[in-house]
Amino acid sequence: MKKFLSIGLVRGLLHQVGGTAFGIGLVFLIQAIEGKALTSEPAWVAGGAVGAIAFLWGVGAFRDWWRQAMGETVVEPHEVQDEPGARRFFNLSYDHKVIGVQYGFTSLLLLVMGGSFALVFRTELMATGLQFLSYIQFNTLIGMHGMVLIISILLGISAIGNYVVPLLIGAKDMAFPRLNALAYWLAVPAAVLLIMAMPLGGFETGWTGYPPLSIRGPMGIQMFFLGVFFAGWSSILGALNLVATILRERVQGMTLFRMPILVWAVLATSIMALTATQLIGLSFQLVLFERLLGMPFFEPAQGGNPILFQHLFWFYSHPAVYIFILPGLGVISELLPVFVRKPLFGYRWIAMSSMGIALTGFLVWGHHMFAAGIEDYLRVPFMYSTLLVAVPTGVKFFSWVATIWQGKIRFPTPMLFVLGGIVVFLLGGLSGPPAGTVSTDLHLTDTYFIVGHFHDTMFGGYVFPMFAAIYYWFPKITGRRMSERLGKWHFWLMAPAFLLMTLTQMRIGLLGMRRRIADYDPTQGFQIPNIMITIGGFLIALSVLIFLINLIRSIRNGEPAPGNLWESRSPEWQVPSPAPVHNYEYGLTVVGDPYDYGLEGSRYVEVPTALPIEVPETPAIEVELS
Amino acid sequence: MPEIHMASSMAKTFEYLRQMKPDLVIVDYDDRTIDRAEFLSQFVASDQPMQVMLVSLQASGKVVVYERKTLTPIQAEDWLALITTANIPTQSPPAKERSTNSMKHFVIAGGLVAVSTVLVYLFLTGAGLLPVEASRQAVLVDQLFDLHWALISFLFSLIVVFMGYSLVVFRRKPGDDGAGKYFKGNGRLEIFWTLVPLATVVTVAYLGSQNLAAVRAVDPQAMEIKVTAFQWNWQFEYPQYGIITDTLYLPVDQQVLLRLSSRDVIHSFWVPEFRVKQDVLPGANLVKELRITPSQIGQYKVRCAELCGGAHSAMERPVIVQSQADFDTWVAQQMASEVQDPAQRGQKTAEIQCKACHTFDGSKGLAPTWKGVFGHRVELSDGSTITADEAYIRESILNPSAKVVKGFPNIMPPNYKDTLTEQQISDLVAFIASLK
Repeated sequence: MKKFLSIGLVRGLLHQVGGTAFGIGLVFLIQAIEGKALTSEPAWVAGGAVGAIAFLWGVGAFRDWWRQAMGETVVEPHEVQDEPGARRFFNLSYDHKVIGVQYGFTSLLLLVMGGSFALVFRTELMATGLQFLSYIQFNTLIGMHGMVLIISILLGISAIGNYVVPLLIGAKDMAFPRLNALAYWLAVPAAVLLIMAMPLGGFETGWTGYPPLSIRGPMGIQMFFLGVFFAGWSSILGALNLVATILRERVQGMTLFRMPILVWAVLATSIMALTATQLIGLSFQLVLFERLLGMPFFEPAQGGNPILFQHLFWFYSHPAVYIFILPGLGVISELLPVFVRKPLFGYRWIAMSSMGIALTGFLVWGHHMFAAGIEDYLRVPFMYSTLLVAVPTGVKFFSWVATIWQGKIRFPTPMLFVLGGIVVFLLGGLSGPPAGTVSTDLHLTDTYFIVGHFHDTMFGGYVFPMFAAIYYWFPKITGRRMSERLGKWHFWLMAPAFLLMTLTQMRIGLLGMRRRIADYDPTQGFQIPNIMITIGGFLIALSVLIFLINLIRSIRNGEPAPGNLWESRSPEWQVPSPAPVHNYEYGLTVVGDPYDYGLEGSRYVEVPTALPIEVPETPAIEVELS
Repeated sequence: MPEIHMASSMAKTFEYLRQMKPDLVIVDYDDRTIDRAEFLSQFVASDQPMQVMLVSLQASGKVVVYERKTLTPIQAEDWLALITTANIPTQSPPAKERSTNSMKHFVIAGGLVAVSTVLVYLFLTGAGLLPVEASRQAVLVDQLFDLHWALISFLFSLIVVFMGYSLVVFRRKPGDDGAGKYFKGNGRLEIFWTLVPLATVVTVAYLGSQNLAAVRAVDPQAMEIKVTAFQWNWQFEYPQYGIITDTLYLPVDQQVLLRLSSRDVIHSFWVPEFRVKQDVLPGANLVKELRITPSQIGQYKVRCAELCGGAHSAMERPVIVQSQADFDTWVAQQMASEVQDPAQRGQKTAEIQCKACHTFDGSKGLAPTWKGVFGHRVELSDGSTITADEAYIRESILNPSAKVVKGFPNIMPPNYKDTLTEQQISDLVAFIASLK
């Protein structure tokens, strides 16, 4: 029992429960003293916030800083020894490789949870009429599906960034290891808060939380807001760490244009996450205050304007979608050269396209509001800026095709997911422009066409590349490889099922099926398409189940893969697998360009197996000079 | 400032090695005066690895680095033994031969792209992707969709065909562990495929703005209709006729100006066959406009297109487009049936405004049933009881949260005091009283 209670995660959760109770009690006490009736909403909000902070205290995320503030000495992060075995993943660790795995597993957990919510409401949608869900249950499930998966994506890209980036740049860890641990552990109580939205009344608004509906509906929306707030903190701090690491911790000789392309993608992503996330926190905080304290930001009857919320919200939430996809697109660029055995085409242009997407991504948010009632002089400029994003995105696609063209192409599982990602993301990119021109968007917005569009971009830009990344780097993490046979089952089940789902979604959207509806008009003839979409969803779930079985089995029983399994030039594959604890014990030297596959005799990096030679004080041999 | 010395004899070399203890020694590989074995064994006595670079010192002064390794002396000896002039990187195959091969693949793939573009476009335009065009705006919007289908057909084909071709033709043959064709980039191609898409998107955006202007064209003779959206129904008011209805009747080929407002949260007005959609906002200062010119007689439905909680999915009402003659007949009927009996008028009002929550027949709904309520005792949420007389009914309409019936949530919209006329309220009281 004592051993169980000493696990960081357990301590954190117990502290969260206690902190929540304390917060609730405090608010009830204040209400009682003021002679007011006890209302539960402010109590739960205070409890939720206090509980999340208490979690961090319980898991030890503040411990070192607290000790430093008290004047005690603390051990440097790179000198801390994590306990060996699986337990270290449930405790506070400063090691970026442990944290990367923690992010990865939490992300997969939320992926399964969010996906399961979809299976429930998709089952309801197989026939017209309400079969087993009430309106509030349905509306809560779609909102949870959206936000749980968004957080899963944020954690997944943090997993990739944290685990891989220091290895790619020759660093021994991130710039700020303690901040890294804090950023990860923020996500856990955030997820708990988000899940609490369900028992505390649910919420009616979908993940976008628009007022006035979010001001009036059930209390679950407050937990939703708090969960997103803390998850946003995690995202901001993680991004800060990555920017600092990439700019300052690259090994000598690795100039910006000599670093692996994935690092450029992560840099562009992190700049966005660092600067835009605040806006969703702000917009949700305003609604939270409007509910709790009556501050009339968005209620027209009191002088507020609901469109203000939409501007604030989408100012983050549009760049957010580029945050979700840029790392995955970076994974595609990173892995293609390895499996086609030729250089990445136009490295500098691809690097700059990531930065270009990050920049233009900030200028387009109004396209989510073309029907919202904004002035016409706003709609047209947003149409121009929205279509403009197609230019750097096109550079990526053309570069990928040029990279593949005339290669010597190999097809292990990671490559299948890379190729699938490109095709699926292409569908996302092509379904964008019809939604980007205003008059066509007036037909498409709030329909299943948009649902199809964003599932394309999310699967193509994140889900497929994420699986590629897991199959690719799993040997680096564990020293074993995942089963190729199960991997191929995963891919060949997921890809067609996904295409069935998304093409059907787009079709019925065009024909008039609105989104976020618990039931649909039987006269529209959408029953069979809805059944097909549901079947697609279940097949995707089955494929993910196969993946999870593969993952769990391979950790213990996977075929050993200690060396450079993929014959990659990249630094992390020049050291043994699993990766050594401090990555590059004796340093790393950059001797060439990253992707010169096919250039005879060239190498990208050199990793010495022992320390460089030191010239002795006196000569080793007396030399006779003639 | 690093110290640099040159030696051209073994003796001098060893003297420098002993005195200077250099960090870097550059050895000219071709120099016949060097006995490599002796050099290596004299130079380094231990097994510690060292950095070894294979370079060629060109007459022009350039230094070409061929290889760089970290090796122990034994390894270095072996490695150097392997290096012969034959291993030094040779020229790639003659340029002309290379480009003919590339050209062939490119032309075939290009041809397939053209074929695929046509096929995909025919499919997209032939598959009936959009609902029937029932408004002039729909015709315009669909023209823009057509442009998008063309672009999509081309771009989809371009990427998928080149990729698919590559995955088949350039797949690794068994046993071939070699590399693909070595090329890293092409500046001119990059500029081309940046500028051409840039010009294309600017053009499409321009055409989009023209299309939007056409869709929003104003007919000053448009008939005005006030649309009120609320959880979870629609009300349509024809100010020039004084008609209020929950079914939207429209004459064909005449533009209507819809003035949209909500009583509570954000809704959205959408008839898929008309294409254009407009969110409906609460707030007297946030009335939004939408102009539609129905062009095809028929029955359609307006469907709320912004999640508004609860029964959002059911918030649909018929839209009936008729000939001008039939529409005029309908208007005349509505105005003639201006009902005299307050209870009947109240019923009409109640069916639009109240029926979403209150039932009239005693069955359980979201709100108390009206059957048998008037004049009887009602238990309130604070435990007290009261008689449901006219004053109580009026207060319930004008200030719903003042008294809430026990067992029901306090969700009645508070703004009926602003939206119902005095006559409507009296009519409602009369109707409720009539439900014994």
